[in-house]
Amino acid sequence: MKKISKIIFIALLTIVMGCNDAIDIRQPGRLDAINAFQSVDDLELGLLGLYNQWDLTPEISLASNFCDEISIGFDSGGQGLALYGFVQTPATASGADFWVRNFRVNNRASILIEAAANIDPDASELAQYNQILAEAYFIRAYANLEMLTYFSTDPRNDSALAVPVIESVPALTIQPDRSTTGELWDYINSDIAEAQGLMNSQSGVTRLSVDAINAFRARAANLRGDYSTAASLAQQLLTAYPIANQVNYQLMFLDASNSEIIFKLERTLNDFYDGQVNTGSVGTGGGWAGSIYAFVSATLAGSPYFEMDRKLYNMLDATPGDVRYDVNVAPTSVINPDYATDPDPVNTDIIVIQKYQGSEGQPLMNDLKVFRSSEMLFILAEARAAQNDLPGAAALIKQLRDARTGSAQPLPVYGSQAEAFGDILDEKRIEFCFEGHRFRDLKRLGVAANRGIDRDVTDCTQQGDACTLPASDYRFTLPIPIVEINANPGIASQQNPGY
Amino acid sequence: MKLKLTWLLTLFMAFMMQFSFAQEKTVSGTVTAASDGMPLPGVNVIVKGTARGTQTDFDGNYSITVNQGDVLIFSFVSMKTVEVTVGASSSINVSMQEDAAVLDEVVVTGYRTATKVKSNVSSVRVTSETIENRPNASFVQTLQGQVPGLSITTTSGQPGGNSTVQLRGVASINGNTEPLFIIDGAPVDQDNFRSLNPQDIASIDVLKDAGATSIYGNRGANGVIVIKTRTGSFNQGLKVNYNGFVSFSTLPTNDYDFMNSQELLTYERTRGGGAGAGVSSGVFNPGNGSPLTDAQIAAAPNFDWLDYFFRTGVSQNHTVSLTSGSENATQFTSFGFSDTDGILINSNLKRFNIRSNVTGKSNNEKFTYGTNLTLNYSKSDEPNNIGGNGINRNYVIGATLSVPYITADDYTNGAALLSPLSFTNTPLFLVDLQKTFTRFEEEVRLVGSVNANYEITDWLSANVVMGADYQNEILTRAEAPDSFNALLFGGGANPTSGFQDQDTNRIFTYNQVTSLNFDKTWGKHNLQVGAYTEYFKAHFRTFGFFARGLDPKTFSPGDGSGFIGDNSANDFFIDTAQANILNAGLFSYFGRASYDFDEKYGLEGTIRRDATSRFAGSNRWATFYSVSARWNISNEDFMEGSGFDVLKLRASYGTAGNQDITGGGLFGGLDLTEDFFATGAGYANANSISLAQIGNRGLKWETIATGNIGIDFEVLNRRLRGTVDVYQRETTDLFQSTPLSAVTGITQQDANTGLLYNRGVDFQLNYDLVRATSEGGLNVSLGVVGNYNETELDEIPNTEGEIIGLGRNGGKLFEYYTLRYAGVNPANGELLFLTADGNLTESPDANGDRVWLDKNIFPDWNGGFNLDVDYKGFFLTTQWNYVIGVDRFDGDYADALDADDLGQFTATNDILRAWQQPGDVTDVPSWTATNRNSFGNGTRFLTSADFLRLRFASLGYSFPSKFLENTGLTNARVFFNAENLITFSEWRGFDPENRSNGQRIYPTPKTLSVGFELGF
Repeated sequence: MKKISKIIFIALLTIVMGCNDAIDIRQPGRLDAINAFQSVDDLELGLLGLYNQWDLTPEISLASNFCDEISIGFDSGGQGLALYGFVQTPATASGADFWVRNFRVNNRASILIEAAANIDPDASELAQYNQILAEAYFIRAYANLEMLTYFSTDPRNDSALAVPVIESVPALTIQPDRSTTGELWDYINSDIAEAQGLMNSQSGVTRLSVDAINAFRARAANLRGDYSTAASLAQQLLTAYPIANQVNYQLMFLDASNSEIIFKLERTLNDFYDGQVNTGSVGTGGGWAGSIYAFVSATLAGSPYFEMDRKLYNMLDATPGDVRYDVNVAPTSVINPDYATDPDPVNTDIIVIQKYQGSEGQPLMNDLKVFRSSEMLFILAEARAAQNDLPGAAALIKQLRDARTGSAQPLPVYGSQAEAFGDILDEKRIEFCFEGHRFRDLKRLGVAANRGIDRDVTDCTQQGDACTLPASDYRFTLPIPIVEINANPGIASQQNPGY
Repeated sequence: MKLKLTWLLTLFMAFMMQFSFAQEKTVSGTVTAASDGMPLPGVNVIVKGTARGTQTDFDGNYSITVNQGDVLIFSFVSMKTVEVTVGASSSINVSMQEDAAVLDEVVVTGYRTATKVKSNVSSVRVTSETIENRPNASFVQTLQGQVPGLSITTTSGQPGGNSTVQLRGVASINGNTEPLFIIDGAPVDQDNFRSLNPQDIASIDVLKDAGATSIYGNRGANGVIVIKTRTGSFNQGLKVNYNGFVSFSTLPTNDYDFMNSQELLTYERTRGGGAGAGVSSGVFNPGNGSPLTDAQIAAAPNFDWLDYFFRTGVSQNHTVSLTSGSENATQFTSFGFSDTDGILINSNLKRFNIRSNVTGKSNNEKFTYGTNLTLNYSKSDEPNNIGGNGINRNYVIGATLSVPYITADDYTNGAALLSPLSFTNTPLFLVDLQKTFTRFEEEVRLVGSVNANYEITDWLSANVVMGADYQNEILTRAEAPDSFNALLFGGGANPTSGFQDQDTNRIFTYNQVTSLNFDKTWGKHNLQVGAYTEYFKAHFRTFGFFARGLDPKTFSPGDGSGFIGDNSANDFFIDTAQANILNAGLFSYFGRASYDFDEKYGLEGTIRRDATSRFAGSNRWATFYSVSARWNISNEDFMEGSGFDVLKLRASYGTAGNQDITGGGLFGGLDLTEDFFATGAGYANANSISLAQIGNRGLKWETIATGNIGIDFEVLNRRLRGTVDVYQRETTDLFQSTPLSAVTGITQQDANTGLLYNRGVDFQLNYDLVRATSEGGLNVSLGVVGNYNETELDEIPNTEGEIIGLGRNGGKLFEYYTLRYAGVNPANGELLFLTADGNLTESPDANGDRVWLDKNIFPDWNGGFNLDVDYKGFFLTTQWNYVIGVDRFDGDYADALDADDLGQFTATNDILRAWQQPGDVTDVPSWTATNRNSFGNGTRFLTSADFLRLRFASLGYSFPSKFLENTGLTNARVFFNAENLITFSEWRGFDPENRSNGQRIYPTPKTLSVGFELGF
């Protein structure tokens, strides 16, 4: 009897400890796909998640580091030396980032758009529902335009290879080939048309609006060479958003004025981007825009590992009273007039970049200006020049210079279209330095303008003589990254030339 | 030999006298060994049912007062216990028989023990003698070089830091590669032993082949390490033992040949940069523009930053243990305290341990039980960011790369370092960090287990083992508001910056094995059958806060008085809170059957069904099995007179599963099968919903199949003993990254794909060179332990059959793939590389010219050899370790040879060999070579890290008992130990042993210690 009771005891222990308790475990706090989006309000939260994927710092970083905006600073810890030396291969981080990040945005936008299709909004919610969809379509179009810009060998040639068009949430096994530039343009245009049809509000500058759509269309038309569309949209926006005066221009970069901002991405304390960018793998961004140039602050004492290219500085310094000098050059900079002959210019001529001084008390953190009206002015000027209205282009450039210097500047005279393009690019190099435009401007217009990467010899001779690179160089089109080829070997045969 | 060994052992035993009233008579006699008639000293003589007893003296004589009718129990290690009833005679002489069951070492073979002769499996036992009195805060480090096939590497010199333990190679890419650790029946966290006292360990069995490990199923795929802690013996008087040691740890040397101030300033002046050229922004000779004169250089101070950031770590360790046993119960109690200083500043481990092990049995001996309970508290000061590149965070950068012309006296406070902010001031940032940054971990750890066994009949028993492991760790980090870092990142806008971060992690695991065991012998046949279930559950809880803003007036690390609250003016002082809950579980049932015939042939089979909560959404259950067999050839009649004392052939084959497929431990990758979204901060810090994971519904167990053939032999009258095993481990359904097209929104997903082989040989040889013929005579023995292991990848999941960073089909695991560096072009000082075709070039294709190098970081050969000598109470133990076939990138040397950080950091004198003019033939490229930053360094700094190291040496003296008479001591020993005393290696850095391509890391120290051991 005693033995049997022991056996029963042990058998009971086993059963009590029954197996399902140990192996049917669900972790707390998980949100199933099926429960994620059940209402229009959920879609709104999903849209804020989508916005959060949108970043300009990789573009800013690539343009600065690869082109002619920065030099290697006295406080360099070795950041960006390879990219400064024009090293661009399928294995480099910046190319992979542009591909992976934008396809991620495309995917997240598609997930949201497909989730929205399962929700039937009330009449009272319809306006909000449409607005959410419009913004999602826009963000998807923006990501695809960015890929078209960087991966198509020629955005104006519809038969050139671009990136795969992925219009829905694909199966994980997909191994797509590259689509043509024309197909990608169709995708972008159809998304932007959807956005246009659904967009019903003109809210603040930190959320997408009708004007942002127009600005996007102007930029896209400009890229594609559709100068008449670009000109009319740009003109319209330039009227609605006049060029800022000197005071407001300065305030704009402190996030204290929105005077010429059509749309910007908000960056605030404790958000996802509140921290240093990935300084170990430059060209991928992901944090405070100002930390692309300095570790701590936009001052001499802020450990500026990248400084301003001396040639860019000279251009900013050329016209007295140019407010852009004040915006871009930190007052703590050490300017050595004899830098060209100084034996140690790295330590005696220190030009600290301060376009991103910081806001909300956080050094280096600023909102990211996606569309400013001065870009529209340049689009208009480029269109005028392309349409052989050279005086028209010159008048616009003068308009900008007058506004920036606060005094009447001489009217430029262009002897040829190339000359006009060249002046436009030079002016834009100053106006949009450190805003991520330089790389794509050189790619689009560099050859026609007879411009390329053009660094000051004092800076680049220190760094392996990487001083100039013509705009026709293959590296202005990014490579299909290794990370894609590993998963999708078929695309290797469609690699961009030169890689 | 046996007698001498047991003689030593008896020195540890003493007896306890108690008072009683009784009519007494004195009985005396002599105890001898039956085998040779020699007297046995140290035999315990106890009156049954009491605690009264005595021991025999040197001549085997004893004398004890007893009552007529009392029963005397004579017990002695490795002898059969004898009971004699006291009669009329006052003289009782006893002849004791050797206990064959004890003579045959008992080994653990997987949920059961067997005598060595009946073991079918490949296993190795390490005893307490090897583990005790070593100054390693974690006992795992001590196992290095002791067990063939067991590779232990410690990547940090932090006291108690985690070691990587690998048995017979690396059998998983992403998953766990470390063995299962079981302490007294309770599976425990394999990465955290810092709180446990190594002195409590009695034995460690390392189970290697599938015959032994398959029955551990879900966690035994990488081998099993079974640890038993000490217990008392029945009918044993109280024995008190103390041991303690003091140790001194120092930084190993390096061969980088760093410059002194004069060399560095001269170099800087030559190159026109840094303080030597008068263009520094650091505190020494800041930018006056004029180069230093020879006299100024000669007068520059020389500060040894290595000596500042590293120190001699002084440590102490004390353990007191009490052991006793009555007729039906035994106990072992120990108290331990240790205080171990790391060699890096601000690194320390303090530990306090209590252990209580109790065993007991019923009067009829049918019911036996045991409990093992240990309570531990440790406080670990651990610098973080070690290995990182933060010049304001990593002390090791300060130690190795700081310019020697800046001295610690140049430090005033953090604010003074803000402007100018110069890399050259690196050591001063770190001096500030040392003074203002706090980081420590406090851990309470309880490990307890209960086992109970009931013999239902003489052939059937029921058994239950319940084990629990509880860890509570509190991490505290605080950055003072007046620190350099707080001021730097807070800036003028936020003068009361700084933060305090506290996180509490609690882990509780519970494991229960319930079994029914059948064991019956008839004639020459023995059959054992077991049926088992195992239940395992693990719970993780964490919570914490990150408080921003500290008031320097009231701030004290760990305390909240100085917290500054949020206000409406800004968001600087928003605090964040975090909490997380994770749970995991396993359930299994399994069976085992083993058969023995006449100790000549053995056959065993196991089968096990396992389920894990990780694969709840997919392939939850899996089945694993093993078969093993042995042939004790030496027990065959035809082997009479063959010279073999033991000759045994073993073979086994079996499978085991790995469900820790991310290598993240108990709580890594718990629900990778599911898609889910997450809520949290989105655009502009507003709440949002975003995709968090795309699940893989096909996930399943990684399976490791191991085949093993081994031979055990003992010849020359057991003078030469050895074991050789050959094995293959084949891992299928490897959990690894499968690349996905980025258009899916992700670039990779982990899936079960590919094959990985580990093949190799383990061997162990021991030879008694000199055997003493009399007490205190000379004994010399030699031992060799070795393992050869090769890895081979197959079925890599892409069309090329290769993945950079992982390897290629047919190649080694984690084979290096990079550009081949080919020296310096004498014409222009540029770096030369080889193209993929082997041609020299200055501008290789950074992608296409990379090649597979047939090298990796894992050793081909590793092991050790040892020499033990004892003579007249003196003993010397030396243990050498070797590793062959490890190649590592020497990033620290690359840093020291970097021509681009001129004026910021120090350099090696090798940089002066740089190419200067056409025709120079040198191995250091021009300081300004245009391609120096274009293609990386390729293989330039890839270096062999093979080494031979005197891992451990111990010299000691045991006082003979005749010296101890009248001292109250039963045993006394002093010893001097040395760890890592001598190392031979091509590697130029501090520690060739470090299994990492990281740089600026915390080297493991050289340690000398002195200690003593006393028994009462």
